[in-house]
Amino acid sequence: MRALCWEGVGKLAVRDVPEPRVRAEGDVVVKVGVSSVCGSDLHLINGFLPAMREGDVLGHEFMGEVVETGPGVRRLRVGDRVVVGSVVACGGCWYCRTEQYSLCDNSNPQPVFTEKLWGHSPAGILGYSHAAGGYSGSHAEYVRVPFGDVGAFQVPDGVPDDSVVFASDAMPTGWMAADFCALKGGEVVAVWGAGGVGQMAARSAQLLGAERVIVIDRLPERLATAADRLGVETVNYAETDVLEALREMTAGRGPDACIEAVGMESHDVGPVYAYDKAKQSVRLQTDRPTSVRQAIMACRKGGTVSIVGVYAGLVDKFPLGAAMNKALVLRMGQMHAQRYIPMLLDRMAAGEIDPGYLATHPMPLEQGARGYEMFEKKEDGCLRTVLHPA
Amino acid sequence: MTSNGTRWVLLGATTVAVAGVGRAVARRRHRHQPERRDGWYVVRRGVTIDRPAAAVIGFWTDRERMDRALAGWATLEQLDDDRWRCVALDPAGGGTEWRAEITVQGPGRLRWRVTDGPEQEGTVWLTPAPRDRGTEVRAELRWRSGPLRRAFGLFGGDDPDQGLRDTLRRVKALVECGQVIDTRRDPSGRGPAQEKATDKLRDRLTTGGRA
Repeated sequence: MRALCWEGVGKLAVRDVPEPRVRAEGDVVVKVGVSSVCGSDLHLINGFLPAMREGDVLGHEFMGEVVETGPGVRRLRVGDRVVVGSVVACGGCWYCRTEQYSLCDNSNPQPVFTEKLWGHSPAGILGYSHAAGGYSGSHAEYVRVPFGDVGAFQVPDGVPDDSVVFASDAMPTGWMAADFCALKGGEVVAVWGAGGVGQMAARSAQLLGAERVIVIDRLPERLATAADRLGVETVNYAETDVLEALREMTAGRGPDACIEAVGMESHDVGPVYAYDKAKQSVRLQTDRPTSVRQAIMACRKGGTVSIVGVYAGLVDKFPLGAAMNKALVLRMGQMHAQRYIPMLLDRMAAGEIDPGYLATHPMPLEQGARGYEMFEKKEDGCLRTVLHPA
Repeated sequence: MTSNGTRWVLLGATTVAVAGVGRAVARRRHRHQPERRDGWYVVRRGVTIDRPAAAVIGFWTDRERMDRALAGWATLEQLDDDRWRCVALDPAGGGTEWRAEITVQGPGRLRWRVTDGPEQEGTVWLTPAPRDRGTEVRAELRWRSGPLRRAFGLFGGDDPDQGLRDTLRRVKALVECGQVIDTRRDPSGRGPAQEKATDKLRDRLTTGGRA
C-alpha cells in the first residue's frame, strides 16, 4: 500500500509499504478515509522530538472504515464507519478506568525514552515517533488500531468525513482545554493559537459557558475565520501588545482562563523571540514557550492556564514567579480522546459543533509532502490539509 | 606566547576538573548499582497492577487465558500442585531461552529459580495497594556474579535487573489488558537493513526503564 513516510529532518515522501494485519485479539484494521495533518506533526518532521526513524509512517488524526477485526473485538464490525482517537489506550489500567486515557500504562511498548525524559511514560500515540511507541500512522491506505473497542467509535450518519476526522484529535484536544478551565458560566477566556485546536478550544469554551472568547494569533485570515465562524473577538499579536490588549478588553482584570493551543514552535515578535529561536535551533532548549509565558502573564489573579499545545522537554525563562504569586491553576496534558469522542460525536450530529471548515485543503495522499509544506507555511489560507488515501 | 607557569596552572586546573567530574559520575553510577550481599547482587523492583490480589493470582491459574497471553514468548508447564516450569523466549528472536522453576510459597508469594545458566533466583509477593489502586507486585531478584563478569555481561547487553523490570511490565500488561503490545512489525518504508537497526533501537527503548 502507499504511505507517507518520514525520510529525515524536513523530508517526507510517499512510499510502498506492507499492509498491516490484525496481530492481537483486540486489533482492528481501518481503511483510511481521511487523515489530517496536525501542528504537532511539524515538531516530529522538523526534528524537535528526536525519536523518528527513516521510513516511519506519519499521521494520527483520521477516520475510515473497519475492514478486519481481531477475535476479541466486540463493539465493532467490518464495514463500520469509525473515527479513531489518536492516543492508544488499553482500557484495562487504572488510568483508563478513571478516563485518563492519554496516561495509559500499557499502550507504549517502548517507554524507556519518555521515562528518562519525563519520569514516567504516558500512552502511546499512533504515527507519533518511537517515543510514543513506534506505531505506524494513518497517512496510509490502511492502519492497524490496537484495542479497537476502546479507541474507535462509530460515526453517526450524516456527519461528513472531512468534518468527523477532527473528532480524532483537534476537537477532543480543544474540548479538554476548555474542560480544564472549569467554567461555571460568564467567564472571559483567551485562546492562544487560531489553528484547528485553538478554534475548537474556543468553540468548546463557548459551549461550556464562557461569555466572551478572545482568540490570539498573527495570521489575519485565521483570525478572520475564527471571528466569522465562531463569533469570537480577536487580537493580532503582530500588530498589538497582547498583554495590554487583554488588560484593556477585560477592564484590568485579565482573562479568567487562558488556553494555550500553540506548542513548542510558537512565534512572536521582538528580541526575546529571536533569542529563543536561536537557542532552539542549536538545541540549547527544546521548546519555545512564548505563548505559555504570555498566557501566564495575562491570566487574572487566581485564574486557570490550560496548556494543550505540545511541549517536549525543557524551556527557558518560565515565569514561575508570576504563576506562584498570582495563585494560578496550571492544567495541561495530551487529550483523553476516548473520554470525549462519544459526547463530541453526539454534539456534531446535533449541529452544535461543525469543524468541517478546518479542512481547507483536501488532497490525495500522493501530495502529502506538499500538503505539509502548505500547512507549515500557512500558504493559501491553509488551516488544515486533509489527505485522502483512496 | 603562554608562559610555562600558565601552562602548569592550566594543566593543574584541567586535571582537578576532570577528576572532579569523574568522581561525580562514579558517585552517580554507584547510586544505580545493585546491592551486593554475600556474593549475590540483589535488586528490588515493584509494579502496581490495577486488580485485586485474587484477580492477579487468578490470572496465573487460568491456564487457557495464560497460554493465550504467553503465546509466542513463553511456555508454562505445571510440575505438581505448587511447581511450574517456565521457558521464556527472547522476543527479538535470536533463540535466547530462559528456563526457571517457579514455586508457590503461600498466598500471594512465589519464588523462582533459574534452572539452566547462571545462578539466579527471586521472590515475588503481592500486597494490596492503597486507595483502590489494585495490587503492589514486589520482586526481589538475586544473582551471583563477580564484578568483572557482571561488567562483561552489561557490556554484552545482559542485565538481570533490566530483565526483571521488563518482566514486571509485561506481567502488568497481561493482567490488565490481556496482551503485551508490540509495534515491531508495523508497516514502514524501511528496507531490511534499516528495519534491523530500528529493531535494535526498539529493544533499547523497550528494555529497562522503570518497572
